[in-house]
Amino acid sequence: MSSGLFGIGVSGLYAAQLGIATTGHNISNASTPGYSRQEVLQATAPSMATGAGFLGRGVQVETVRRVYNEFLVNQVQVARAQAAELEAHHAQAHRVDAILSGDTAGLAFALQDFFGAVHGLAANPASTAVRDQLLMGADALAARFHMLDQRLADEAASVNRQISGSIDVINSYAQQIARLNGAIATAQGAAGGSPPNDLLDQREALLSDLNREIGATYVIQSDGSYNIFISTGHPLVVGEEAYGLKAVTSPVNPERLEVAYAANGATLPLWGATLSGGRLGGLLAFRTEALDSARNALGQTAVVLAGTVNAQHRLGLDARGAWGGDLFTIGAPLVHASTLNAGNAVVAGSFSGDYAAVTASDYRLRFDGSAYTLTRLGDGAEWNFTGFPQTIDGVRLELASGAMQAGDTFQVKPVALGARTIASAISDPARIAAAAPVVSAAALTNMGSGRISAGSVEGPPPVHPDVLVPVTITFTSGGTFNVTRTDNGTPIATGVSYTAGEPMRYNGWTVQITGQPVAGDTFTVTRSDGTGDNRNALLLAQLQGANTVGGSTSYQSSYAQLVSRVGGKANQLSVTARAHANLEAQAVRAQQSVSGVNLDEEAARLLRYQQAYHASGKVIQVAATLFDTLLGMIG
Amino acid sequence: MRISTSILYDTGVGSMNRQQVELLKTQQQLASGKRILTAGDDPIAAGRTIEVRHAQSANQQYAGNRQQAMSRLALAEMALGNLGNLIQNVKVLAAGAANPAMSDRDRASLAVELRSQLEELVGLANMRDEGGHFMFGGNRVNGQPFAPTSAGVVYAGDQGTRLIQVSDSRQIAVGVPGSELFERIRDGNGTFSARADSANAGSGVISAGSVVDAAALTGATYAITFNVSGSTITYDVTDTTSGTPVSTGNAYMSGNAILVAGMRVEVSGEPADGDTFTLAPSRSHSLFATIEELMQRLGDSTAGVAGGPRLMNGINTAMQNLDQALDHVLAARAALGGRLKELDALHATGETIDAQYQQTLSQLEDVDYAQAISRLTQQQLYLEAAQRSFMRVSGLTLFNYL
Repeated sequence: MSSGLFGIGVSGLYAAQLGIATTGHNISNASTPGYSRQEVLQATAPSMATGAGFLGRGVQVETVRRVYNEFLVNQVQVARAQAAELEAHHAQAHRVDAILSGDTAGLAFALQDFFGAVHGLAANPASTAVRDQLLMGADALAARFHMLDQRLADEAASVNRQISGSIDVINSYAQQIARLNGAIATAQGAAGGSPPNDLLDQREALLSDLNREIGATYVIQSDGSYNIFISTGHPLVVGEEAYGLKAVTSPVNPERLEVAYAANGATLPLWGATLSGGRLGGLLAFRTEALDSARNALGQTAVVLAGTVNAQHRLGLDARGAWGGDLFTIGAPLVHASTLNAGNAVVAGSFSGDYAAVTASDYRLRFDGSAYTLTRLGDGAEWNFTGFPQTIDGVRLELASGAMQAGDTFQVKPVALGARTIASAISDPARIAAAAPVVSAAALTNMGSGRISAGSVEGPPPVHPDVLVPVTITFTSGGTFNVTRTDNGTPIATGVSYTAGEPMRYNGWTVQITGQPVAGDTFTVTRSDGTGDNRNALLLAQLQGANTVGGSTSYQSSYAQLVSRVGGKANQLSVTARAHANLEAQAVRAQQSVSGVNLDEEAARLLRYQQAYHASGKVIQVAATLFDTLLGMIG
Repeated sequence: MRISTSILYDTGVGSMNRQQVELLKTQQQLASGKRILTAGDDPIAAGRTIEVRHAQSANQQYAGNRQQAMSRLALAEMALGNLGNLIQNVKVLAAGAANPAMSDRDRASLAVELRSQLEELVGLANMRDEGGHFMFGGNRVNGQPFAPTSAGVVYAGDQGTRLIQVSDSRQIAVGVPGSELFERIRDGNGTFSARADSANAGSGVISAGSVVDAAALTGATYAITFNVSGSTITYDVTDTTSGTPVSTGNAYMSGNAILVAGMRVEVSGEPADGDTFTLAPSRSHSLFATIEELMQRLGDSTAGVAGGPRLMNGINTAMQNLDQALDHVLAARAALGGRLKELDALHATGETIDAQYQQTLSQLEDVDYAQAISRLTQQQLYLEAAQRSFMRVSGLTLFNYL
């Protein structure tokens, strides 16, 4: 009888001990990430049937279980993947925003300085000091483009490094989870079906960490192991087998790392697919949505600036009377053949001269065996053609060498090199073409009141081959005139009827005569040798406000749009990132309200188990006393 | 609801963190004076700021250009003022030479004085600006525009005019090419010039003449040829452009008007048989040539019947041309003055626009200090509240009582 009481007391002691141990475990793991509080499940021991009915035999501990809600844990993981993606995206976008919007670091000031120097040239074209100033302005502008491009390139390189780093971490988590899958199955079997709580917690913590890097979902298998999938549907962990991601150089862009899926020794490219969630998703989204477009927009401004300024500069004469050359050099459109191409074709790109048509987008060229398809990646517009050369969006593409095979692809990046390669092409200040090539004059012997405008040449280059040939316009009456070469008298036009103010276009130049000339009056158009001529400089200065970029915005406005767009993106991401961080915090709070350790609660439990332990001790003491009593009766 | 202890800490730290971020941002805004630290703070305003700042800088560039234009125009105007005075001086000399009491020698010394005026004129025409460039060579600013040669002063410049961009829609000419200023001057009375043939033997002197019927002007050159038979003097009028006689045997009386194709001239004195006067449409006649011709006339002998009238005819022609030159210079000067006035007006507008841009910029990007400081105080309060409440809450634990 009293042995039963002993047994009951001991079972109470044992249960209280386990309770205290579990509470202690909870207290010491209160701040362990991913820890779910555990509690002892105790039940009455099977009772013993006696003649007097069923007699209790004390308590027994069923198991130690963790307090856990799968739905809440899942919510935390989904929220975490989204929050981490937005946080990474926002952090990067904010950096680009800061690079571009600096007051003095941005492009705006360098552009203003350059055009200020052009205005200086227009006001004082014969001054060498002013010409030097313009060259310095051009150098400074090019240097500013380089600096901004370099900083964006640094961001791209940093994204590459972060992608590699993130992939390493993802692979390591996948392996650890796969190992834990095995360990959990083994432990569960060994413990006769009792859950290995701490291992489960560890696996969930790893899954949660994995979701910080990449969006991952899991499916529980019958043996308790997790199969884990990324957003493209590819499995990362199947049972005890882990697969990995791999950072590979993009086949169409040697400067870019792309993500590939590595399984069974094969590599499967994942670019073009939507890898979302986590830091990796954020980095990829940042690169396609913000970084690429910012670099291209900057490159577009550089290409259009260099192209349009050069075109105008080539229409002028320099201080030595020679035709102006390029004021800026700029890299040609970049065409990368995919490293996977079967053919050996080399496609070369060049600017056609229509700079208003140049866009900030990249293009993909594909050959299907008979026809070529060029896709503008920015908006998906397509062109189909069957031969080269082709001029599309201001870019001329030609087959430089080799032949294509079906399925070959090329990436065309027209403006990718713009901001990196723009440079001043002139170092001699006398080579700046401030003067217009032709100058007009009205003969002093003229009797009529006719006046001739200064004259201008028509762009774009190349100019008419005879533009510098001296020409005489002779009025044969008040209403008609002849146009002849002054040097050899060859007629260019005869008996043309005169209308005051009507533009006269010959040999690539335009003049206007106003007033009333009379018969015998002559006007001449000759090569300008005016070192004080500023007309081409004035035209260069007017480019500042002209709608050159995309045919609809000025250089400054296109930069302002870029800053505004990047800023808008950063702003929008800052709002959504904050919202998602809050969502994550809420999910964590909800999950923690179930699984988290509350120290007050544990303190109370500690007291309870302590008292239970005391009480069970008392039961044993009573049983001993009973036994003593019995012995005393015998003695 | 259960609260886990770690959430208690995380939430407390998180809210303090947020408050600190806000506080730091306000502090940065106050320290920089700018509301927009990066474009992300207000993307639309940031884009606008770049555009407005660009417009403002262009406007400031135009203000600098206007200063340049003004100083060039002022220099040119000063030169034109000197030129006007010089022409006046030459006119005084010419008027003095017309004095019949003067001897040939007196006139020869006047001619010497005229030569020095001519040299001064050439010097004026070859004036340089502050950069050492010629002001009246058109766009050929590096070569001397006017060179005295045996054939007179020759212009080596061109007819270009420098324009300066003085506002985004206005370019202003900041000079006058030498050819237009010194050479494209209409001779005679501006419509036609009446000249006596230098071989005339009589004492006929022709007036400057005037246009009485502009509609009758033909643009042809006419010759008035005198015939003297005994005491009867008649004259014939011939259109020398076409070689057709207009009228013949017209009776002559000294000082009476002769009307030819809308032009009216008076011939006085006694022309000799065969003396010719021509009425030619005005053409460009350089100021240098006018003065050189006057010098030549002053050097001629006045001996004989024809000597005095020839001098008078020469001085008359020169005086007409000088008057034309003076009018021409005054008109050019008025044009320069007009441009200077326009520049003043543009300048005033430019400054107003600049102030507007400044104000716009300030509204777009400057921080409102009163608001920012009150925000700073508020955020400080929030942070302190978060810190204090966190200390209170985190201090509460049952373990204190165990």
